[in-house]
Parts: sequence; structure tokens; C-alpha cells
Amino acid sequence: MSFDSTYTRELPLVPERSSFKEIDDVIFRPVEEAPTRKWFIAITISSLALMIGAVALANTFYFGIGTWGNNSTVGWGFGIVNFVFWIGIGHAGTLISAILYLFRQRWRTGIARFAEAMTIFAVITAGIFPVIHTGRPWLAAYLIPYPNQNSIWVNFNSPLLWDVFAVSTYFTISFVFWSVGLIPDIAAMRDRASGIKKRIYTVLSLGWRNSNRHWQHYERAYLILAGLSTPLVLSVHTIVSFDFAVAILPGWHTTIFPPYFVAGAIFSGFGMVATVLIILRKVYDMEHIITLDHLEKMCKILLATGSMVGYAYCMEFFMAWYSGYIFEQFVFINRAFGPYAWAYWTMFSCNVIFPQLFWFKKIRRNIPIMMLLVILVNVGMWFERFVIVVTSLHRDFLPSSWAMFYPTWTDLALLLGSFGFFFTCVLLFVKVLPSISLAELKAVTENAQPTHKHHH
Amino acid sequence: MIGKIKNKLKEVNNRNLEQKRSDELYAIGALFDTPDEIMDAAGKTTEAGYEEFDVNTPYPVHGMDQAMKLKNTMVGKTTFIFGFLGTTAALLMIGWMSGIDYQNIIGGKPFFAIPPAIPITFELTVLLGGLATAGLMLTLFNRLPWINNPLHDTNYIKQTASDKFGLVIYAKDKNFNIATVEGFLQSIGGKSIEKINFFEVREDRVRTPIFDFKFIALLAVVTVVTAVTAYGILRYVLFLPPFDFMWKQEKVLPQEKSTFFADGFSMRPPVEGTVSRGYIPYEYQGLPDSVVTLLANPLPINAEVLAKGKQRFNTYCSPCHGYYGEGDSRLRGQFPNPPSLHTDKVRQWADGNIYHVITNGQNVMSSYAKQISRDDRWAIVHYIRALQRALNAKDEDLN
Amino acid sequence: MEFHNKALPGKVSRIGFGLLITGLILMVAAFALDYRRAMFDYLTMFMWLLSLGLGSLGLIALEYISGATWSTPFRRVSEFLASLLPVMFLLVIPVVVGMKELFVWTDPQVVKSDAVLQGKEPYLNTTFFIARAAICLLIWVVFYFFLVRNSQKQDSESIPQYTKSNIRLSAIFTPIFMVTLTIIAIDFMMSLFPHWYSTIYGVYYFSGTLVAAYSALTLISVLLKEGNYLSSRINNDHFYSMGMLMFAFNIFWAYIAFSQLLLQWYADIPEETFWYIIIWEHSWKVVSIALFLVHFAIPFLVLMPRSVKTNLKKLKFMAIWMLVAHYLDLYWLIMPAYDHHSAVFGWQEIGFPLFAVGVVVVIFKMKARKTNIIPVGDPKLESGFNFHL
Repeated sequence: MSFDSTYTRELPLVPERSSFKEIDDVIFRPVEEAPTRKWFIAITISSLALMIGAVALANTFYFGIGTWGNNSTVGWGFGIVNFVFWIGIGHAGTLISAILYLFRQRWRTGIARFAEAMTIFAVITAGIFPVIHTGRPWLAAYLIPYPNQNSIWVNFNSPLLWDVFAVSTYFTISFVFWSVGLIPDIAAMRDRASGIKKRIYTVLSLGWRNSNRHWQHYERAYLILAGLSTPLVLSVHTIVSFDFAVAILPGWHTTIFPPYFVAGAIFSGFGMVATVLIILRKVYDMEHIITLDHLEKMCKILLATGSMVGYAYCMEFFMAWYSGYIFEQFVFINRAFGPYAWAYWTMFSCNVIFPQLFWFKKIRRNIPIMMLLVILVNVGMWFERFVIVVTSLHRDFLPSSWAMFYPTWTDLALLLGSFGFFFTCVLLFVKVLPSISLAELKAVTENAQPTHKHHH
Repeated sequence: MIGKIKNKLKEVNNRNLEQKRSDELYAIGALFDTPDEIMDAAGKTTEAGYEEFDVNTPYPVHGMDQAMKLKNTMVGKTTFIFGFLGTTAALLMIGWMSGIDYQNIIGGKPFFAIPPAIPITFELTVLLGGLATAGLMLTLFNRLPWINNPLHDTNYIKQTASDKFGLVIYAKDKNFNIATVEGFLQSIGGKSIEKINFFEVREDRVRTPIFDFKFIALLAVVTVVTAVTAYGILRYVLFLPPFDFMWKQEKVLPQEKSTFFADGFSMRPPVEGTVSRGYIPYEYQGLPDSVVTLLANPLPINAEVLAKGKQRFNTYCSPCHGYYGEGDSRLRGQFPNPPSLHTDKVRQWADGNIYHVITNGQNVMSSYAKQISRDDRWAIVHYIRALQRALNAKDEDLN
Repeated sequence: MEFHNKALPGKVSRIGFGLLITGLILMVAAFALDYRRAMFDYLTMFMWLLSLGLGSLGLIALEYISGATWSTPFRRVSEFLASLLPVMFLLVIPVVVGMKELFVWTDPQVVKSDAVLQGKEPYLNTTFFIARAAICLLIWVVFYFFLVRNSQKQDSESIPQYTKSNIRLSAIFTPIFMVTLTIIAIDFMMSLFPHWYSTIYGVYYFSGTLVAAYSALTLISVLLKEGNYLSSRINNDHFYSMGMLMFAFNIFWAYIAFSQLLLQWYADIPEETFWYIIIWEHSWKVVSIALFLVHFAIPFLVLMPRSVKTNLKKLKFMAIWMLVAHYLDLYWLIMPAYDHHSAVFGWQEIGFPLFAVGVVVVIFKMKARKTNIIPVGDPKLESGFNFHL
């Protein structure tokens, strides 16, 4: 049929059927070549931000948590906001690598490895905040149930403890998933390299030799890991949402929080992945591997998840009214029209209204506008956590304890530092390991699989 | 200096890593160009009766396991078993730790309940299942790491890592014969047929140097020695016992002086006028009986209250007043005996007066407000009324 | 195209009408015996049919916007099931007529003495309720009409343009679908307990409808495959995917149900917890535990192995199981409003599901008589047949 290909063809991952050798060259180029000037400029900026964060961290440790803007009314400030924000960023990686894998969305291949790496770095970044927010990071060991001299155990009813388990499991499994995916690629690099590099790759590749006896187990294990990661990624942000939602505080206690947080996390994660990819494909000339079609697909997912988040915002508002519970009603009116209305409307417009522009194909394929919108998504999602944390707390049941929250320079510098840390890690990753999954990419290029006529 | 280091590095980098090979044949490999060709070749190899062969491709080729007649993988079952272990372990851990060993009331919830145990149970299920899947897939099912497999460093493996599809027949196959195998590989369309020999250092002796038993044992010994030495030095030389967070906490122990507050007390006195929970001030404190006219007994009269009153009365009142309120003290004259509670005066008192005497004290009797709670005092009043009535029972009480 | 449009046997109609009429008789008897109880049973049945119809329409839209091709050979099954939606216009009438029996807030006396209900009056009042129901139904029917018309026109005209406009329609429909579904879930079920509220309610019903729609799709596809009405090119990978999605959405349902339970159990505030107390006391406790086992635990364990998802017999059994489980889910949501203390079950409850199944069978048969069971003109069909994991 003549029209067959119009609606059925998957995204061409490598146009005009580049040979496998050419794919190798393109993907390994950033790893094998000396860093470019653009790369040095980028890493200078990001490590500068990292240094500013380090200074703020030293300031925090030296003087204590009093250097942050938290007060006795708004007891949870930037620390938790940044934690939730970065955990959310991490979710896109697993979504792309696991959920889209299960749904056989082949276009994910071009961006999966990179998104997984982002997950790992984002989770590390996020993990910093709960550890430092006590002011005594060396006591974090208390979070683990270990037999101790006082024979006490951790509080298993606390969502904060669930967080410890969820985030560490998430990190471990994401890391395993990512490393398992890397093995064949490192093996391919080993067979191209020489000298010390070869030795390192030999050890890291575990002696992988692309045997189909291995691929059989490998593929099944990869599928199972994807299957395990999918509920895992849902559970992580669900548990993060429990931190808030199990409380009875109006604005936090609402049953839609779990799916709403998950949708928000995927939304913000895609925003971040898109932001970085737009830059990366330019810097490394990968425009024909991470194509405009990929970015368009990502825009569609942003539109979908942004609308889901919008649904949750509206649902919360409606239910606050419907519940007939005056405290709940007050919190929502205060959110939208109180002293933090600017934060609320920033959040609402960046997350719900602006992404609606992605309904138009022209905008989905226009890089500068897309870049602007995805950055706004990042901003909006950061503000979402800010709104949830601060506006629910700052005017609680007792008007005598109402207060405002003002961040200090330490707060802001730590936020900046977290971006610095994240981007430094990303830049180093791109330099050291293949940022696109070679074996998977080859497996989904056209004519890569045998035609099924002989064997079916 | 820097130049020297650079030269040294260069030299190390350029050192020939190729291991020497022996004369013993390990396998014969052939390369193919397209996935269709390799599928075809794999099928023919199985049909020809070879068992010890392998197909190496840059990515998994779909349908290859059927073509190679591979058995179904057991990875899924492994995951299930370990995941189930994780579930069980988590539930047992939470159940024992918070339900049995360290019971704490948190938010009025049961010590152990299923809903809040679910998140951690789920996480541990996934953690154990995932780690076992990846770990066992690599080590048990694929027998990796194996970094000096003879196939490595050959043209064959380098090509199959990039864009060729390779088929290799091992020398250990029972039908192996160099000439027939070469002929066979050619007949099924194999190109660049390559004979691959064992390394001089046989791979079955040192599969992977860094995972070699000796190396790992050495690592373990070094670890243990370092740890024990460090612990010994800290503990017995520097007198800084490690891992003592739980013993040495920054808190003030009983009888210890606070260094934080100027007055040396670690607890702060409550603000003046602070009232403790449940405390209700007694407005007739220290006033004569005559003013107490408006107090009424708030407790109902029932068996429970009377039993309570009896118990309290027997504990606190009966030593002087006697078990029946007759003033027959058991104190053998150490205190003057109080008057009987069955006098007309006491019987005509309002409940409030009796309560007032218990609360405020009278003559030799001191206040019992500290020893007996408010409700218990009222229960005692009821009980005294019951005693009085028992001694002056009327006919109708017998009905 | 290896496809022969074979008419479904007359047996199907006979079974359908048999069930329909038996169900109808039992229903009439149930209404005559206990009007109020029958109203609640009727609502349960109505929501179950709505789940199938609306869920199937949702699946069609999902297929178009995700660009999936594997489900294209089966899309007609969903389309036939979605044709329940126009019928819903008829079926909703008894609900509207019997509103006074179902919804406490329709009674002005009750509202007068209840400050909370007074606060909700702008939303929960008879006029607005009927208007919302009518608008939502109308929207669904309009989208159903256009989506299915485009799809069916393609059979004869084979113009890919129809696929394109359906993708566009589906994209517009999806957000509307979510909102209208939430409104109906809140109106028809949550407002049975007008004091209780839960923001996740719409998502909960959504997850249930998808489970039901996938199960119905799986069941009918397996039956058609067994009777050789589908192409011989349908392979195990297709059924594996259906089983997988049934399994996945069932987990999603459990996830949503658990989120709601945990949050309300944990916060323990009287505004919400009372509902869980109702369904966790007396015989409702048995139903709640049964729901957990029937809807989640058993299907989870059974559907987990790969072999079950490719075994048509087992898959068929599990699809029927899940459809029953969804009915139980709705029973558990709706019937506590009829009797707070005990779960009623008697012969009165039997007629309604029989009638519902009868309606589905009859409508399916009627649709299948006029239309191809496979969308032969769809440009995605070829790739759908070629689907391999």
C-alpha cells in the first residue's frame, strides 16, 4: 500500500541508513576526542556554580542551619523544595528508559542513556539536601535500622524513613540499570581503544563479547529491570508526596498527591532532559541522532504531563471548595490570592498555561521557543514545590504564628550550587562514557533485524 | 619533570598489551554481513549438529534464540524468587522491629499495621529482585567477568562489536574437525574465516585477574588488617572509641550540671502561673467548712464508682477512720482516734463538706489533695455515704 | 489482506437476547420488590456499562495519539464496545428518575439541617446534576460518532487523511475525556456520600475503567480469534501485549486505591475517615478484603508469568475474572450508600449483571453485522499485523 509508511513508520533514528561504523564514530567522538573549547567554557561555568554552592555549604556547616531562611512557622524551606525538585528531575530518566521501553517506543533509544545518567546525578544532587538539612550530616547513619547500643529502631511509620528506602533503592536500581546498559557499549569501546584506555575498558566491560548466548539472558534481564523500575519510579515520587500528604495540614493532605507528584516529576524531568539535550546536540553535532522529531515527541509528553499537573491543580481547588472544610478552603484562597500569589501564578502559568502552546506543531519544531518553554517548565516546577511547602506552612491554624519565608543568600547559593553539581556531573559523563546507547541504537535502525519470513 | 612523567605515561600507554597465544586451537570464527545471513547461518549450524558454537552480534538479533535452539532463560524466575525474599524479609523486619522489639505509639497507630509497611516492603522487593537479576544474569547465567577469553583481541571480536555478525564454532565440540568446520563455514557464506588459538596463559586458570581468588583474598586480608589496626589505634592508643554516637550524646544526665544555663539547671522552671494538664484549682482551699455550700458530687452512683471509692477509702482513710468509718483506728494510739463518720453531724453534712475535709484537712487530719485525685475523692464521698446508710438501714433498703 | 469477513453466528444473538430478557425480568422483579435497593443495583450496572463504553473510547483515542499499531487489528472491538455510549442516553434515564432514592442531597429537608451540604448546594443540586450528566454524555457521543465514522469510512475509501483527523480528534478528546469522566465519577458515585471527598477519585475510576476496557478487549479478541474471525496473522505477541496492559493497569488501579487508603488511614481526620470505617465494618469488611484479593492479589500473581499472557485459554479466563472484579469494585463503591451496615446480596443483584452482559453482546452483534471486524482500510493495519516484540 502506498500510504503505508506515513503513519506506521517509527522515527528514523539514523537517516539514510548510516552504516554501523558511522554510528560508532559519531557516538564515540565526544569520548575519544580531546575536549573542545565549548566544553571547557561549559564546565568552567558549572564548576563555578558548584564552588559557590560549596562555600554556602561550608557556611551552613560552620554556623548551622540558622543561616537558612527557615523559621519556626516555615520549618521546611529550600532544603525540601530542592530535594523534591531534584528527585523529580530524576524521574524522566527512568521513564524514558523503563516505561517507554516497555511500551516499545523505539524513539527513546537516542536519549535513554543520557536521561538515565541524568537520573543518577539528579538523585545524588537531591540526596545532598536531606543529609545537610540536619546541620550534622555525620548523623545520617541514624536513618538506617542497625542494631545499636540503645536498642532502639527507626520509626517505620514515618514517611521520611520510607524516603530513605525509596531514594536509596531508586538510586541503586537506576545505577544498576544504567551500568548493565553500558556493558556492551564499553565492550565496543574496548575493541576500538588501545593502551591504558583499553585496559580500563576491558575491566569495566567484564569481558563482554556480544555473544547471543549472553544477549538472551541480558535482554530478559533488561526487560525485567525495566519492569521493576517502572513501579519503582512511581513509588519514589509517591513516597515523596507522602512526606506531605500523610500530614493533616490543609494544602498537604490531599489524596491526589501521589499521582500528581509523579506526573509533575515526569514533567519536570522531561523539561530538564529537553533543556540539556537541546544544548548537547548542538555542542556535539548530534543533530542527526537526537533529531527534531525526538524533541517534538518530548514536547508532546511535556504537553500531556503538564496538562495532568493542571488537572491536579484544578482538582485540588475544586475539592477544597467541595469539601466544605474551611481550613482547606482558606489555604487555597491564600495560595492564589495571598502574599505568595506571585509564586502560585508563576507556577500555574509555567506548568499549565505555557505548555499548552505545544498543541501547535510549529512551536513543537521551533528550537528557540521550545528552549524558552522548557526552561519555564523547570522554573515552574521548582515553584510548584515552593508553593506546596511554603504557602501551606506560612499561615497555619493559629494566626498568631503566621509568618513569611525569605530565603537567605546561603539558600540561594545552595540552590545554585546544586545546579552546578548536576551540570558538572553531566558534562563529565558526556566526556567519559558514550551518552547514547550504541547497541540499542543499532538494534532499532532500519534493516537491523532479520526479516521474519524464514522463521515464522 | 613533567616531561619525564609524560614520557613515562606515553611509554606505558604504548606498551604492547597483546598476550602471546599458544598453538592450541580454541575456535574457528566466520563473519557475516547482514542479520538475515547470520540467522540463516545459525539455523544451518544447529541443523548440522554443532552444539558448542556461538553467535556474536553487535546487538541482540531477534529470533536468534530459536535459531540457535537456546533453552528459555531462567532470569525471570530468579527475579521472582529474590523479589519474594525481599518482600518477606521486609515484612519480618518491620514486624519484628516496630511490632515486637521496640513498640512505640506513633500518632495513635497500631505498633504494626500493613498500610505503612507497604512502601518499604515494596522498595526492598524491588531492590533485592533488581540486584539479583542484574548480578546473577552477569555472573551465574553469563559466566562473566571473563576478560581474557581467547576470543578477545581478535579481528573477529572487533568486527562483531561494530558492524559484522559473527559465528564461532569451538574446538571442544564433539564433531569438531578443522577442515570440515572451515568448509562448513564457507558453505554457509562465512567470510574472513579466522582460527583463534588459546592464550599462552590458559583462560581456565585465570579467567579474570581482578576477580581471581588470590587477589580477592589479598584484598580481604588488607581490608581486615587495616580496619582492625585503625580500630585498635583509635580505641587503645588514642582513647577515642569509634562508633559511640549512641553512648555519647550531647545531653544532660541526671544529677549532672548544665553548662549551658547560668543557674546550672538543665530544665527550666515553668513560667509563673503555669497550670499542669487536668489541674482544676480548688477555690475553697484553706477556708472554713461553713463557706462550702455550692459543691455537689459530679460522679454518678454506680458499682464501679463505689468500688473505686471503697478501694481508695481502704487505702487512705481506713488506717485512722477504720474500715467502716467508725473511728476505730488501726494505729494503736500513735494518733488520736478521729470521731466516727456516723455521727449526726457528718450524716447531715452536704457531700461538699466531706469533700472539703478530705481536700483541705481538718484539725489533726492533713490535706489529702496531693495523694488522692479529685475524682477519687468524690468516689470516696459516695462510699462514705454508702457506709452511713448501711449502718442506718431502713426497712425499704432491704427490698 | 488475509481477512474474510465472516458473520458472527446466530447463537450470539440468541445468547445476548436470552441474557437481556432474563436480566430484564429479574430487574423488574427487583424493582417491584425493593425499589430503593434496585436503584442502587441499577446504578452499579450503569457504571459498569459506562466503564466499558467510555473506557473503550478512551482506548481508541490512546491508540491514535500514541501512534500504536499493534492494537489496530483489534480497534474495531473497542469501537463496537464504545457504541454502548449512545445507549447510555437511554440507560441513564432510570438513574435520573430515581435520583431521590440514590442521592441524599436531593432531599431539601436533609440539606436544610446540614451546613456542609448547604455549602455544596451550588454544585450538588438536581438541575445542575442533570445538566452535567447530559453534557458529558453528549460530548462522548459526539466524539464517538466522529472517531468511529472516520475509522469506518476508511474501510471503503482507504484514505489516510481519516487517520490524521482521528489523531487530532483523539488529542482533543483526551483531556476532555479525563475531565468529563471525573465529573461523572464524582456525581454518580462520590456524591452518594456527600460529605466524603477525595481528590484522587476521578483517577481511581479512570484506572478501573481502563482495566475493564482492556479486559473486555482481551476477552472479545480471544473469543474472535478462537472462532477464527480475526486474521491468521494475529500472533501471540499481540495477546501478550493485551495481557501485559491488563496486568499493568491493574497494578495502576491498586496503586491508586492504596494511595487513597493510606493517606486517609494515616491522617485519620473525621472529614474523610468515616467512609473507610463504613467499608471496614460488619459484612463490608468481607467485601473489602474480597476486593483486594479478587481485583489485585490474585490477578497480580496469576498474570505475572509470561506464559499466562500468551496462553489464550488462561488469558480468556483472566479477562472474565477482571470484568467481574470491576463489577465488584463498583458494587463496593456504590452499595455501602444503600446499607451502611451490611453488604446486601441476593437474587435481586443477579439480574443486573445479566442484563448488562446481554446489552453488550446484543450491541456487539448488531455492530458486527454491519461493519468489518478488522479495520481493513487503516494504514496502520499492515504494521499492526507485523507486530513482533
